[in-house]
Order: sequence, then C-alpha cells, then structure tokens
Amino acid sequence: MNHGGSKAREHDSGEWLVLVGNPNVGKSVIFGALTGRYATVSNYPGTTVEVSRGTARIGGRKQGIIDSPGVNSLVPMSEDEKVTRDILLNENIGSALQVMDSKNLRRSLLITLQLVEMNLPVTLALNMYDEAGERGISVDIEKLSKTLGLSVIPTIATQRWNLDKLSDAFHHRAHSESVIKYPELIEDGIRRIEALLPQARISARSIAIMLLSGDATLSGWVDKNAPGRAGEIEDIRSGVQTRFTDPVGYIINRVRLKTVDAIVSDVVTQEKLGKSKLSTVIGSLSMHPVWGIPILLAVLFLMYEFVGVLGAGVSVNFFETTIFKGFVNPWAERVVALVFPSGLMHDLIVGQYGIVTMAFTYAIAIVLPIVGFFFIFFSFLEDSGYLPRLAVMVDKIFKLMGLNGKAVLPMVLGLGCDTMATMTTRILETKKERVIVTLLLALGVPCSAQLGVILGMLGAVSFYATLWWAGVVVIVMFIVGLLASKVLPGESSDFILEIPPMRMPQMSNIALKTLVRVEWYLKEAVPLFILGTLVLFTLDKTHALKYLEAAGSPIIVNFLNLPIESTQAFIIGFLRRDYGAAGLLVLQKDGMLTPVQTVVALVTMTLFVPCIANFFMMIKERGLKAAVLMSLFIFPFAVLVGGALNFIFKVLNVSF
Amino acid sequence: MKQDKGVEEVLEFVWSQRERGSNSIRELLAIEEVAEEADIETLRRMAGNNLIRMDGDAVVLSSDGEKLAEAAIRRHRLAERLLTEVLSMDAESIEKNACSFEHTLSHEVTDSICTLLGHPPTCPHGLPIPKGDCCRKTGGELKPILQQLSALDVGETGRIAFIVSNVHSRLDKLGTLGIVPGSSVRVHQKRPAFVIQIGETTLALDPEIIKEIYVKKIF
Repeated sequence: MNHGGSKAREHDSGEWLVLVGNPNVGKSVIFGALTGRYATVSNYPGTTVEVSRGTARIGGRKQGIIDSPGVNSLVPMSEDEKVTRDILLNENIGSALQVMDSKNLRRSLLITLQLVEMNLPVTLALNMYDEAGERGISVDIEKLSKTLGLSVIPTIATQRWNLDKLSDAFHHRAHSESVIKYPELIEDGIRRIEALLPQARISARSIAIMLLSGDATLSGWVDKNAPGRAGEIEDIRSGVQTRFTDPVGYIINRVRLKTVDAIVSDVVTQEKLGKSKLSTVIGSLSMHPVWGIPILLAVLFLMYEFVGVLGAGVSVNFFETTIFKGFVNPWAERVVALVFPSGLMHDLIVGQYGIVTMAFTYAIAIVLPIVGFFFIFFSFLEDSGYLPRLAVMVDKIFKLMGLNGKAVLPMVLGLGCDTMATMTTRILETKKERVIVTLLLALGVPCSAQLGVILGMLGAVSFYATLWWAGVVVIVMFIVGLLASKVLPGESSDFILEIPPMRMPQMSNIALKTLVRVEWYLKEAVPLFILGTLVLFTLDKTHALKYLEAAGSPIIVNFLNLPIESTQAFIIGFLRRDYGAAGLLVLQKDGMLTPVQTVVALVTMTLFVPCIANFFMMIKERGLKAAVLMSLFIFPFAVLVGGALNFIFKVLNVSF
Repeated sequence: MKQDKGVEEVLEFVWSQRERGSNSIRELLAIEEVAEEADIETLRRMAGNNLIRMDGDAVVLSSDGEKLAEAAIRRHRLAERLLTEVLSMDAESIEKNACSFEHTLSHEVTDSICTLLGHPPTCPHGLPIPKGDCCRKTGGELKPILQQLSALDVGETGRIAFIVSNVHSRLDKLGTLGIVPGSSVRVHQKRPAFVIQIGETTLALDPEIIKEIYVKKIF
C-alpha cells in the first residue's frame, strides 16, 4: 500500500535504480531510508502491491529509486509479481539493488541468478543480518561476493545499520557473467528463441529463458517487440517440452536451485542452537489448532477495548463534547456571526448542515480519533507478523467461499480501509478470488472509521447487541461468498503462504505508519465529508430533503422501522458509510433510535458500498461493468437484509 | 501361469494404448517394440487363449488379459520408480532395465517394492500405477522408505524424493519457494492448516499439495 503515489520526476541520469527481492525482506524499509519517502512497511508478504518512486542523493547525484513488490521468481505467478517483472522489462533501469533475507539465502539467490541472467548490474544487501546471527547462521560475505562477482553488503535496515555503505556500491556497478548452464536441449531452445528476439534493455537470453519456461504474461511484450514471432517461439518451446516429462520451467528452476545449493553450502554455516525464542513460541501458539482460537478472541477483545472503548468512547467524547461543542463550534459561530449575522453563508458554515458544525465535527471529532486508534492497533498487528497466522486459522472457512486463507489479508486490511484493501486483492492469484474478495469488501467489511463509530454506538447499547450486529454481518458475508463461489466461473488457487517470524513491532514504524495513514484519511475523507454536507445543505435549503424523506419513508419507516430523520444518514451513506454511521450516532445520542433500531440501522449501513473512493477503486481494479453490477446488487440487498432483520427482531420479540 | 515375454509385452501395449484413448490393431502393430515381438498371428493366438478380443481393427482386453496386463504394467512402472528414486539412474538405462525387471519380478517382490516406495500413485512419467494388494492393506512389517509428507508426524523431517503433481503451475510455484526433490522439510503443524518449515522459511500449504510430496524420513 502506498498512499503517496506521485512520481519523482527529477533525477540526474534518467536511469532508475530498482529495489527487488523476495517478499517481506525489507525493500520498503531501505527505500524509505534512501529516499526519505515513506512506503508502507509491515511484517507480512505482499505489503507493497504498487510501485513507489523516489529520489536519493548518492555521491552528489540525484538517483531515482523504484521500490517493487516482492517476488519469488521473475517468471510471475501473480499480479504483484508481474508488476516487478514489468519494471525490469520495460523501465529504464540502470542497476538493481537486491535486498536479501540473510537467513534465507537459498531463496534470495534464486532471484540473484535471474537478475544476473538479465545482465543487470546488481548489488546485494544482506538484510536482517542480525536475525541470521540470532539463528546461528553465518555467511562468508567475501566468498559470496567472489563467487558471484557482485558486491555484497550486510545490512540491518530497521536499525539503518550499514545502509550508508549501499550508496558506495552503486558506483561500482558490477555486472556478472551468468554462472548457469542448462541441459543442452534447453540451451539449444534458448539459443533459437534468442535469435528471434530484438535488442532489449535486459538480455535476450533472459527473455528467451522466461519464454521457454512458458511465461504467458510475456505475450504482450512479444507481440509488441517481436511481432509475428509468437507462433515460432511457441513451436520451439513445445518442441523442447516434448523431450522432457517435467515442465521445462520446472527443470530450469531446478537447475538454478542446484547452482544455488552449491553456493549456499559453500558460504553459509549453520550452528545448532538449543532454546527457541519467546517470539517463536508465541508465533507457534497463535496458529495452534487449539491455542490459536483463544488468542484470536483475545486479539478481537483487545481491539474492541482499544478502538471501541478507548478510541470511540473516551477520546471521541473528549473531542466532540469538550473540544468541538465546548470551544470550536461556539467560537466558529461567534466569528461567522461577525461577518454573516444570518442567512445562507451563516448556515453554510455553522448551521445544522454547516461545514464546521457538521462536516468538520464528524470528520475531526468523531471519525479521526477512532481512525487514529484503529491504525495504531492495526499497525501493531501488521508488524508483529500475526496476520499470516490468522490466515492459517481461517483457511478452512475461506475454502468454503472459493477462497483460501490468503484472502484474509485483504479482508483484514479492509478493516483499516476498504479502498486500500481492494487494491491489495492483487496478491490473490485468480480472477475469481479477486472478484469475490472485492465484493465481500464492498459489501460487509466495515472500515476503521465506520467500525469505530459502530462499536461506539453498540457499546452504548449492550455487548449482546454487538454480537447480533457482528453475527448478522459475518453470516451475510459468508452466505454471499458461498453463493458467489458457486455462481462465478473460474478457478480457485492453491493455498501457499509464507509465515514470517513473529517480531516485536518497532514503535517508530508504528508511529510513522499511523501518521501517514491518518494524513491519507484526512486528504481522502474530509473533502467527501464536505461534499456530503453540501449535498445535504442544498437538499435542505431547496426543501428537497423533505421530498426525499417522504419518498424514502415506505422503506425507511415502514420496512426498516426507523425514524424518518435517519433518511439523511442513509443519503450521505452513499458517499461514505462512515459519514452515514456518524449521522446515525448523532441520532442515537439525541435519543431518536431505540436499541433495536440502532442494530437494524447499523447492519443496513454496514452493508452499503464503503465510499465513493472505494467505488472508483473497484472500477480501476475490476472494471466498470463489474463495479456497477456489484453496487446494483449491494444497495438493495443491504436494505433487504435490514428489513429482514427488523422482521426477525419483531417476530422473536428481541430487545437489548 | 507364466506367459511368455512377447504376450506380456503386447498386453501392456494394449493397456497403455487404451490410456491414450486408442484401441486400433493397426496402430498397435505399428509400435516398434510390439512389431519386434508379435504380429497379427500372435494376436489371433492370444484371442484364441481368451486374453484379448478382436473386432475388425479394434482390440480389447478380456478379463484374464486385463489381470495380466495390469500386473505387468504395475511391475514395469514400479520398477521405473525404484530405479529413478532409489538408484538415481538416468532415463535411458531406466527404460532398458525396467523392461527386463518387469518380466522377472514375482508377486511378493513387487508388493515389497511398492510398500518400500510408499505405494506411489504414478510412475516417473506421471502415468498411474495400478494398485496391488499391498496398497489396500495398511500396516505390515516393511516400513516404507518413501511416504507422503502428510504421513509424517509433527516435528519430523523428511527429504523430498519426488512431487507428483499434474498441475504445472503448482510445481513452478513450489520450485520458487525451494520445494524441490532433494530439499529437507520439517512438519511444523498439521491442523488447522498444514505448516512446514524449509530452511528458515515457514510455509502454510494446502493438504492436497502436501499429499503430492513424497519424502524419505530423516531420523
């Protein structure tokens, strides 16, 4: 997730330095340290799904730097891996800095060999050097450097140790001769495909090897750069394939691994260590079939206490009642009254639907503290390494929805922000999975802002009401996921997920990440809050609100059994559901919602599409048609569920 | 009842032709190895012995022939597995030796090899190995050398011997994570999802994938 996204335009040579490496090895930390720009850093694979760009001063020159999503191979298996491969293939890359996990040299070197094959100048950063040491692993750096002909620098990125040395390495751009020879039948295929390819930024040999591996994602590149040759290339590839029983790509990979294993056994020594660390024990317990469940419940309970009670209760009270009602609003009214004693402008700023009294109060006093508390908690979870373990716990349930445990990552991220999470669906491998998760995010996963308001409102009713709300939303999502997996065509993918070690989160990263996200929230949400307020203001002044309320009353009053005033909350809920939820909160505080009405209204609002920005992200990631279809399904469905719930409450005579 | 080598060979080829979806006598006799051992007269004789039935250009196995073919195929493919995994021979000498093995192995030896190899479902070429009595019975005195990774207990380590998967992308993906024959993996937990350790990498994997990985246990 990258909240910036603006390109760094100016740098001296025009050539980029690209950071590459396996997932979760610390590329974004090094990127941040070199460029001073923050790219989101977490402790699970797939944090970066988008490319960040920045510039660094290296030896008096401005150097453009690209941070890329982590890969296990440069023959891509998922969309985020393709992003990285395409950077190497299409961008003006001057050199590569490969960030490696020192304790996992085997997998890192697999990528190094591919970079060397591409004939790129490569520098290696042996990152997490401390973790390797703790595990009794030592690397003979000099020998490694000599074997590969590349400069190798041990680093600990999170402590900024040795990062300054990296810049020296960019000056000595070491190329290296490819150290790999494939079986002659394959080498022959490589030579023949190579002959069909034009000059490219990376070596034709490396592209030939990718094509021989059966990399379907390259077909666009072939059509553009070697038009009309696709057929010939495929003939050569299938010709080579018939000579082997295993897929050629697999054989190529095995040859590489053999080379890697030889290097590793030469440069790495492993010392046996006795005791396991506390973090390892916690890591194991959190995905244990029995102990994992109480740990999950404890995490949820802590979240409820920290975000719901402390954030939505205590701090919202302080901001709303003390700061805004006590100081900001009266003060604003006094100032505005000096200029506009009454009339349209007065109402626009401090009236019932005023920008200060409604938009700012909602955005800053109600939602911001909640979002802040949530992001602190969430960042802690992210950095600890708990989330992939959660994926292990829920894999079986997600299988029923045509997904696998990996899908829990975007879903949990959705609790932070559904818009960002929709983008993170890229880490899923098949289109079907991405569509289902996008739908579920839009339908049922409440984002932090909304979640906080909801928890605050439900907390004021009872814990029992909270269970009803959560139960209904989870069951509805599960049923929709179940049906979607039956209806939608396509494949589900294998569950293969890397579990990073548990780590003690770094407070500085949590603080920085929370700040970046809060800033992003302010930029993203406040304009929409103002827009929503303007819509309401206009509707109110033109008396259209009355008509809308009258028009909506069969649904709102009769079907959902809610007060007519809640119509406006639902109208702004179209723009952002947290804004709508904040509107409901005000109604509840004014004593206009009974406990049962609160639960019905919140369930309905939760099932709305999260916000306009999320809708645009759905269009960007899934296409206009899919986004519109999903929205057309979601809004009526949300109201339907709300109505059904109201009916059930009445029949069962439920009260809270 | 010991059949001569040529008849067995023909039965095997009728079997493997059927796997490819063909039952043509013309195509059968056009196969080099068949032509060396048999002609149309041999087939007629086999039909007379009630091993096969012929109808125009079509040939099918009778129930007696089916049993013999199944056993021969099983011996051949198990021999291939044995020579590949345990003796690490190259492809050419495997084929030569597997062919002579299959005509000499007794029933008991065949089942022992099968057990030793952990009842492998396929030959190195990915073709199915017919099940024997030993595959249906569990337990027994002979401990298998190779077994499915899923059969290891939590905390045990195995060296990967082979991975049987028909899904190419799965092999590729596992390969990039270092899961290839020769690597050692440790079972970290089996529920709620399978988690294994390979070097300093911890991975959660589908149980279906775990079943496709055959390992030799390391003590």
